[in-house]
Formats: sequence, structure tokens, C-alpha cells
Amino acid sequence: MPESVVELKNVWKVFGDRAAETIQAATTGDLSKAEALEKYRTVIGVRDASFSVARGEIFCIMGLSGSGKSTLVRHVNRLIEPTAGTITVLGQDVGAMGPNELRQMRATHIGMVFQHMALMPHRSVRENVAYPLEIRKIPKSRRWAISDHTLGLVDLTGYEDRLPKELSGGMQQRVGIARALASDPEILLMDEPFSALDPLIRLQLQDQFKALVRDLNKSTLFITHDLDEAIRIGHRIAIMKDGVIVQIGTPEEIVTQPADDYVREFVQGISRLKLVKAHTIMEPLANGHTKQPADAPRVEGDSDLDGLIDIAVGTDQPLVVTEGGTDVGVITKTTLLRGIQGGR
Amino acid sequence: MTVMDVKEPSATEAEAKSAAVADIEVDRAALDTSIAEFVDKNPTYYQTAFHRIHDTQRGIPTVFNMAAFVFGPFWAAARGIWGFFWAFLILEIIAFVQIGRGTWGELGAAALEQAERQAARAQQFLDQAQAAREAGNDPTRFETLGNNLMRAAERSRETADAAAGDALNILITGLVLLLVLRLVQAVWGNLAYEKQYSRWRVDPQSVPSGLKQKNLVLGIILGLVIIPLTVYRFTIENIPDWLTAFPANSDHYTSTARWLEDVIDTAARSGAGAFDGIVLGVRQILDAISVALIGTPWIVVMAVICVFAWRAAGPRVAIFTAAALAYIAFLGYWEIAMETVALVGAAVVLCVVMGIPLGIWFGKSTRAYKIAEPVLDLMQTLPAFVYLIPIIAFFGTGNPPGILATIIFGMPPVIRLTALGMRGVPETIKEAATAFGASRWQLLKDVELPLALPSIMTGVNQTILMCLSMVVIISLIGGGGLGKVILEALQFAAKGPGLLGGFAILFVAMVIDRIVQGAFRRADQR
Repeated sequence: MPESVVELKNVWKVFGDRAAETIQAATTGDLSKAEALEKYRTVIGVRDASFSVARGEIFCIMGLSGSGKSTLVRHVNRLIEPTAGTITVLGQDVGAMGPNELRQMRATHIGMVFQHMALMPHRSVRENVAYPLEIRKIPKSRRWAISDHTLGLVDLTGYEDRLPKELSGGMQQRVGIARALASDPEILLMDEPFSALDPLIRLQLQDQFKALVRDLNKSTLFITHDLDEAIRIGHRIAIMKDGVIVQIGTPEEIVTQPADDYVREFVQGISRLKLVKAHTIMEPLANGHTKQPADAPRVEGDSDLDGLIDIAVGTDQPLVVTEGGTDVGVITKTTLLRGIQGGR
Repeated sequence: MTVMDVKEPSATEAEAKSAAVADIEVDRAALDTSIAEFVDKNPTYYQTAFHRIHDTQRGIPTVFNMAAFVFGPFWAAARGIWGFFWAFLILEIIAFVQIGRGTWGELGAAALEQAERQAARAQQFLDQAQAAREAGNDPTRFETLGNNLMRAAERSRETADAAAGDALNILITGLVLLLVLRLVQAVWGNLAYEKQYSRWRVDPQSVPSGLKQKNLVLGIILGLVIIPLTVYRFTIENIPDWLTAFPANSDHYTSTARWLEDVIDTAARSGAGAFDGIVLGVRQILDAISVALIGTPWIVVMAVICVFAWRAAGPRVAIFTAAALAYIAFLGYWEIAMETVALVGAAVVLCVVMGIPLGIWFGKSTRAYKIAEPVLDLMQTLPAFVYLIPIIAFFGTGNPPGILATIIFGMPPVIRLTALGMRGVPETIKEAATAFGASRWQLLKDVELPLALPSIMTGVNQTILMCLSMVVIISLIGGGGLGKVILEALQFAAKGPGLLGGFAILFVAMVIDRIVQGAFRRADQR
């Protein structure tokens, strides 16, 4: 188990005066969001959320608008106070921090990127990126050097002295990312950073971001309402509905074993070609039937469907799946087609 | 990309969606239920009436409403159409007054009375003429006078008769007016009621619906109070005093005024130290600015102002400034004008120093703003003359109290616009700064104030202009400067000096306004 950087345990956020009663009622019985509103005049934002993010991991939280994902992520740097539950960041209990300690943690360990960029319109790009450092009272020469370097990471060299409004939406969001990276934090919180951008720019930024985070070895909590984006970027995905985390898993797990109908409906439209691996769809070979034609094509167990199709079109024989040099299963054209369809 | 099969919409769904616009049926049943719920009483009539209105393509749909025709405004009251009720109640009163004057009004009563008086006087003269004739004197003078008056009385009587003869005409006019008004109500009633129905659909809680007895009773009471009294007042010649003048009691006035005076005097006496301190503080600021403007050689001040105008607002404003200053200086107004500028300057400095922090506070705390808003409204709407009196009581006369009066009038804009600017700072940017660890002070200094600055500058500009308009009025309580020149000219009705002084004030105001606006515009563009 890798070291966990952010850990949330049984976090609740209930808006309204009678929050404690609501939690009490919801933990002992079954209280829906609508019932809570009617009975206690409270709104349940986050309901008993627990997860942890490992170092270097991109953890996506996916849900539709109003599902509580943005509320949840704001608990990590305590922009929103939890009603119940504990939040641990880098081994420290965030809830127990005093105001100074909290500011210190926000300034040094957590970078955040917002959906609507939230750049300061009166400051140049460089000064925007340098702002987290300015808060920490780092001298101007250092600030400028660091922000120029960080702007280089997001390919914005040459735009340092422009105002944010002179840049396009995609460039502005790159400034936002640079600002989050400027104080070299261990943790990045991304609140729907690419949602307001057009699809092509979004794809570019997703790839750029993924590579950047891998190179810098940041741990990321990535909020999105777009399952495609979550699957492209995330190592693991949590799916939220009405404040509840419905399922946590790798993209393949989410697509192949949806926890309930809600998740199933979501993953229906998702392409399985890059996600589903050969060992998931193969027909396993029973012991003793290990003898397969020597000229049949051999594929690795973790090759994806896309690759299998490429091999299958060039041969009439079934594909033989090997793991560690031994044959473990076969994939006929029928299995392959059924596998693409989703195993029906 | 996706290999999953896409679910085709079923055939019936597709048909339902693709129905041509022309084929869409009007759903009368649903509408009728809703109308019935709205009107409560007599639904069938209103359903037909509203359908007629809804189906009309052009022109005014003529649906005659018998209830509105018979009961007039009281129908509107019962149905809760209050605007309609008031409009036609007042119009009908005009008709009722005419009818009243026509039937029992003492038309020509005044002329008749005059005729009697004239006839009596004429009789007197004729008697005198008779007496003179008997005494052997010349009676011609009295006879002429008597006969003339007799003729005048005759004319007055004719006027009175004519007026009385008009009674029938007036009565008919009144009746016709009433009939026309009722017809208008009968036709317009349903249109107004249908409008009310549309509003009721949106907001069924607060828009009145149905036929309410309570509303009807209220309408009748209002009508009973308003109509008879008004008609009585306008149709009867001799009416009791209490109907025309409110029974005021002058004792109340005297005692309240005396009590207020005592309160103010006591407060002024007990707080004398504090008030004197305030006056002293204001005087110090004023003196500092005065020394800078008047003590410094005029060449230096003039040059600095012109250069500043150039830097802040460009060459054209600089040339205008030079010309305006030349006018002021050549007419010998230099020192007085500088005193005015010092007064405005001191007032503006105090307004900004107090107003911006208050504005920041009100921008952050909604509750504080709610409490402060009526005070700010009062400061702006209260006529300056009203608060000049307590200011004299508390602070005496002269320039410093004048500045205090100016502050009362000039401070609200800067407070309001600072608060507005603070509230206009986007939440997302504030949240971002907080997320990067900014403290409250850093948030204010780095995010809120810079983003609210355009609004704050607009507020300062407005405050400057309001202070400028006020410095003339403070001459009434002993304030100096150009206002004093105008006040003196006004007292002696001196046209020449008054106009020259007036132009001097105008130029001072224009120069300050041009420079400030120019400076702010440049700051905005940056």
C-alpha cells in the first residue's frame, strides 16, 4: 500500500441549523436528501465520504452538477468546514489546525485550480503565478524566477507580462495550473479545470496535464463531470451521486463492473477498446488443454481490445493469451466481438 | 467511438414530437379548470370572456361585463383589482360632483347674494336722493349712483339666473360622464381581470383571486368615506370649518418646539468639549490646506495646478484650467477661490478617510449595511437648510461647522460605491486567494480593494462634486469663500458682482471636475 497523502474518513457536510440531528437520523436509518430537506430543513452536501489518495496518484471524483463533488474537494484545504469526519493531509489532521497553521498548509502544500480560472484581472500573468509565493513573503527576485520557470512548464514563456484578459481561455487555465504549481505543493486540487474549455483544447490540456503531473510526481484530486475525462486522466475514479460516493475503482473496474444501475448508465457510452484487457474477456483454458496450435498468434494478458482487433483481422485462428510464457486462455472472434459489446 | 447500440426513439414518440405547429390543439379543459379556480364565483361567464380575449387577433375584444357596469368600482374591489378600483372611484367622484351640483347645488348663490347687496345699496342711494329732493337740494348725483347700482344688481341677478339655468346642463353632463365611465369599466373590466389572471398564474400567493367579501366590504367602506364627503365639499356653499382645515392645535406645536430646543441646548452644553474638539480637528485640516493654497505664492500654486491638469487630463484641460484661473485671478477672486478649494479639499479628505473604511465594513457585513442604509438615505435627502440649524447649535458658525455640514451631504456616495465595489468582487477570485493561504488582510489588500477600485473612484468623484455644490450653501452659517460673495450679492440684489462670483464658482467646479475625471479615466485604462 503506497503512502497516502490525502485521507478522508466519514466526512459529512450538512448545510442548515439542524445538521447534527440530520446526521444522526441518516446514520441510524435511511434518510434521503429530499427527506432531510423536508424534515430538518437541511441540505446534505456530502454524505459519509471516505477515500485516500496515494502519492503520485491522480484521483478523479466524477459526478453531475449538484452531486457534492466541488463541496467535497473544498474540505481538503478546509475552504469548507466539515460537519463531521476527519481529513488528514500529509499526516496532519486538517480539522485540528489553527488559522495560521491552516494558511501555512494552504500556501505550501496544496495548489488549487478553479473552473473559472479565478485569475486576478489587475495583475500580470507573472504576478498571478507569483501570488502564492507573495503570500509566503518570498522576495520578488525569487518569485519572478520561480513563476517564469513554472510558466515555462505550461508552455507560456513570452506571456509573462500580459494581463489575463489578453489570453485565450485555454491559456488562462494554463496560467491557473502554473499558479497552482508555483509553490511546488505535494497536492493539487483541480475543480473542474477544463470544463469551461472547448473540446479540442480540453484534450490537449488533459494530455499536457497528465504528463506534467507524472513528471513532477504530484498527487492530484481531480473533479470533473465528464466520465471520458475521468477515464483519460485518472488512475482511480470515485463516482458521486447526491453527496454519496457510489463506487471507487480503476477506470477498467468502473467500466466492467459498475456498482449499480446509476454507474452502469454512465459507462454505457464509454468506449471499452482502450480499457478492457485480454484476460478479462478470454475463455480460460482448463488444465490439460494447454496445447494450443503453435502458429496461432500469442497476445499478452494485459493487451487492450484495440490491439487485439489489430491482430485478429490478420489471422483466421483464435488468439492465444499468454501470461508469463504459458498459455492461459483463447479469444475467438466471437469472444472478441462480445467483449467489445460488453460481455452480453 | 462507441460500439454500444444506440436506443432508437420509438415511433410514437417521434410522431408526437414532430406534430406541425398548425395541428396543435388549444387545451380548453385545462385552461377552464384554472380559470374556474381563479374566479371562484361565476366561472362559466369568465371562461367564455377569457376565451374571447385569448382568441382575439387584433383590436380590443368587446366582452361586456354586466357586474362591472352595474357596480362599477365596487365590482373591481370585490374582485381584488385595486388599481382599477381607485382609478374609476376617483373618476366617478367627478361625475357624482357634477350630478350633485346639478341637483341640489346652490348655483349662482354668490351672484344672487351680490345682487341683493347691490339692490340694497341702490335703495339707500335712492332714499338719499328722495331726502335731498325734499330738502330742496340737487338729487341728481344720488339718483345716478342709485340707478347705476340698480342696473348692476339686475345684471348680477341675470348671471345668477343663468347659472341656475345651467344646473340642468351640469346634471346631464354628470350623468353622461357616469354612463361613459360605467361603459368603459364594463368593457375594460374583463381585460383588466384577465391581466390579473395571468399574474395570478405566476404568483398565486400574493395576487388576489376569487370574489372576496372582505375586499368588497373594504371597497364599500372606502367608497362611503370618500364619495359623500367629497361630493358634499364641492356642492354645498357653506360647509363647516372642520371639513376644510385640519383641527390643529398650536399649543402642541409650541410645547414640542420648546422641548426640542431644550434637548438640543442641553446636549450642546454637556458635549461641549467633544464638539469643540471636532471643530478644532477640522480647523487644523482646513488651515493646513489653506496655508498650502493661499500661503504659497500664487505663481507657484497656479503653475502646479496647470501642470497637474496637464499630467492628469491632457493639454486641453490644462489650457482650460489656465484660462479659468486667469479669470479668477484678474477679477481679484484668487484668495477667496482658494479658500473655497480649501473648504472642498478638507471636506473631501474627511469624507474619504471616514467613508472608505465604512464602505468596506458595509460591503462585508450585510447587517451593518441594512442598518446604515436608511441613515445614508436621510443624509442625502434631508434638505441642507434643515441640518444647518442643529449644526449651529452644536458646532457654532464659521468654516469648520460648514465643512461638517458638507460632509453630511457629501459622504454617502463614497460609502455606497465602496460597499458596492466590495460586494462586486467575484467570489471565485476571493476563494482562490484564500485557497493559496491569503490572510484576511492580504485578501483585502491584494484582491478586494484593487478590484473594487474603479467603483471607489467613482464614489470619490461623486463626493467631490457633492461637496462642491454644498460649499455655497454653507455661507449661510458663516462659511467663507466664493459662497460668501454670492450670498452678499444676493442680500443687496447686486447683479454684477453676483454673476461674476457665480462664474468664478462655476470655473472652480469645472476645473476640479475635469482634472479628477481625467485622472480617474487614466487610472481606469491602466
